[in-house]
Amino acid sequence: MLVFQSVILGLLLGGLYALLAAGLTLYFGIMRVVMIAHSAFLILAAYLAWWTNERLGIDPLLSLVVTVPLFFGAGVLLQRGLLSRLRPATLTMMSVLITFAIALIIEGLLGYAFSGTQRRIQLGYGTASFDLFGARVAVVKLIAFGLAVVSLAGLYLLMKRTQFGWALRATIQHQDAARLVGIDTERTAGFGFGLGLATAAVGGTALSLDTTIYPSLHWHWIGPLMAIIVVGGLGSVPGAAAAALVLGLAQSLLQIPMGATWAQTVFYVALFATLAVRPQGFFGGRLAQRF
Amino acid sequence: MRSPARRTTWAVALSATLFLTACGGGDDGGDKATGPIVVGISLPLTGDFSEPGKGVQEGYEAWAKITNDKGGLLGRQIELKILDDQSNADRVVADYEQLIGSDQVDLVVGPFSTRLVVPSARVAQEYGMLFVEPAGAAAEVFNQGFKNLFYAAPAVADDHYNHLAEYLLALPAGQKPTTVAYAAMDDPFAQGTAYGLKKKLEAGGVKTVVDEVYPPNTTDFGSIAAKIAAAKPDMVVGGSQYQDGVNLIVALQQLNYQPKLAAFSTAPTNPEFAKAIGNKTEGILSPTGYSQDAPYASNKEFVEKFKAQFGQAPEEDQANGYTTGQVVGAAVEAAGCAEQGECQQKLIDWLHSNTVETVVGPLKWDATGKPQGAHMIQQWVGDDIKIVLPADAKEADLVYPKPAW
Repeated sequence: MLVFQSVILGLLLGGLYALLAAGLTLYFGIMRVVMIAHSAFLILAAYLAWWTNERLGIDPLLSLVVTVPLFFGAGVLLQRGLLSRLRPATLTMMSVLITFAIALIIEGLLGYAFSGTQRRIQLGYGTASFDLFGARVAVVKLIAFGLAVVSLAGLYLLMKRTQFGWALRATIQHQDAARLVGIDTERTAGFGFGLGLATAAVGGTALSLDTTIYPSLHWHWIGPLMAIIVVGGLGSVPGAAAAALVLGLAQSLLQIPMGATWAQTVFYVALFATLAVRPQGFFGGRLAQRF
Repeated sequence: MRSPARRTTWAVALSATLFLTACGGGDDGGDKATGPIVVGISLPLTGDFSEPGKGVQEGYEAWAKITNDKGGLLGRQIELKILDDQSNADRVVADYEQLIGSDQVDLVVGPFSTRLVVPSARVAQEYGMLFVEPAGAAAEVFNQGFKNLFYAAPAVADDHYNHLAEYLLALPAGQKPTTVAYAAMDDPFAQGTAYGLKKKLEAGGVKTVVDEVYPPNTTDFGSIAAKIAAAKPDMVVGGSQYQDGVNLIVALQQLNYQPKLAAFSTAPTNPEFAKAIGNKTEGILSPTGYSQDAPYASNKEFVEKFKAQFGQAPEEDQANGYTTGQVVGAAVEAAGCAEQGECQQKLIDWLHSNTVETVVGPLKWDATGKPQGAHMIQQWVGDDIKIVLPADAKEADLVYPKPAW
């Protein structure tokens, strides 16, 4: 019974991880950028969702109407204004520094605007749950999972079925070749970056439904998310999703015999194992080979 | 946000002025017995502990003002000299060296947090000064062999739940909880509270069915909650700080687990708590070192005058600062002196053999300075948290088994 309950919880958790990691792997695919600030943007979106609920009294999910376009715009600006100006030779290294600074700035501003007080969205259905073959499924966790499924499916369709998606994938696969066939790779990269940050808006909102948030919370997230995208294969969104589900499930199940402290290490064990055995990742991506 | 900052600015400006005045009047040391009693304090006003540090500062300021308005100690006014140690352990040592050695303050009282209390108590010990401190409840404070240290609060972490343990073990066999699940953050304070209760209940024959320790950076509590819910214990005990307690309670509620009793440290007494868990607080217990509603004689006066001075009710940090002042004040009045030298030993000896009435109740200490009390136990009844234990301080009866949450 406990095992089945843990499987359910693990899958729901894995779905959330997949959504939170999607943007991170996208940035890396598009321009080899390690985006430390991704989790800070998640927390920013979570705060905006909380604030929407607190001030306007409406459902936090409605904040997506504003935050998704806002984050998309911020992503494009961030890419065009800062990251595309870095020298290609030191891009990956410098992007760590610059996005680290952005993370610190966001954390500081959140503390300034909302204080360090820990917040949680108050929802009528916050603790509601239903029975599924003997296991309890929390409504908020299911909504977060649903958001993950919808946005990842949307992202997948966008990448596979639209002209922009083809251009984006071409840019990810081989930037020079993409330019040769007439793709404006800089513009595509900018929009791709915006897309990644837009997933952070959705992810942060999903996160805010069932988490107590505070400005420095993002440091707890960035490690596991980085591990997920490496295991999944850098640059591969489906890979990140698969890795997220597997690791979420593993974390949840390992907690039964090992306890919370050791179960958390599953991310880092998987990270080291991947780097040692199959540095290009287990689910598709080929990018890491080039380093 | 803005007003405490301005207050700090004023406080800094004020202490700077005092400092200059003290320097200017340095050579008229003859009126030591009639001039003000200078109390030296180093506090973390910036850095990691700035929030609680400012709270303790307000407690000290309230104590000085309320005491001075009533004529001071031994007929002398109290003057606070507060330095900012930036939450830094090296800095705090230098601060107390300066306060005792070159500024020649009459008394010193402690800073905030174990990390800063231990090094500063050592400095005070070297100079033979009494050292009463408002925060430093971890075991390591009391096993350093300090003879001058007193912790001005009812109990150390391990003893927080003593009243609850007594109550539960005294229940008749049919009602007594038989199984308990513990989940504690890997932190000396939070874990101390839960394990203190665990030790006592296990000794009383109550079975431990889940014993989980989670790291402070845990973000997902679903699995821990699943483990607890699957074991179906009569009672769940959380050694929590704040967000972990809230997240765990919500996760337990999502799994529809209904214990007969739920006790969590720290989180339930936070003003944000009820809102955070959507008001499903029914019956949750928490130990607390301070309550504005506690019936101790000086507490009423403290709450009233504190509100008048700062425009808001005091919380635990403020009360701890105030209590520290009360303890030192009682010793000074009893010993009839307040200066460096032999007087300090008189103060120390008096505190080792007497009980002091404070806003957190009567306090007395063992030889290591560890307080010999227990925390009050509060319980959420309706939409308010009320004192339920000990019997002589209670506002309501403990509800057991607790209603569904």
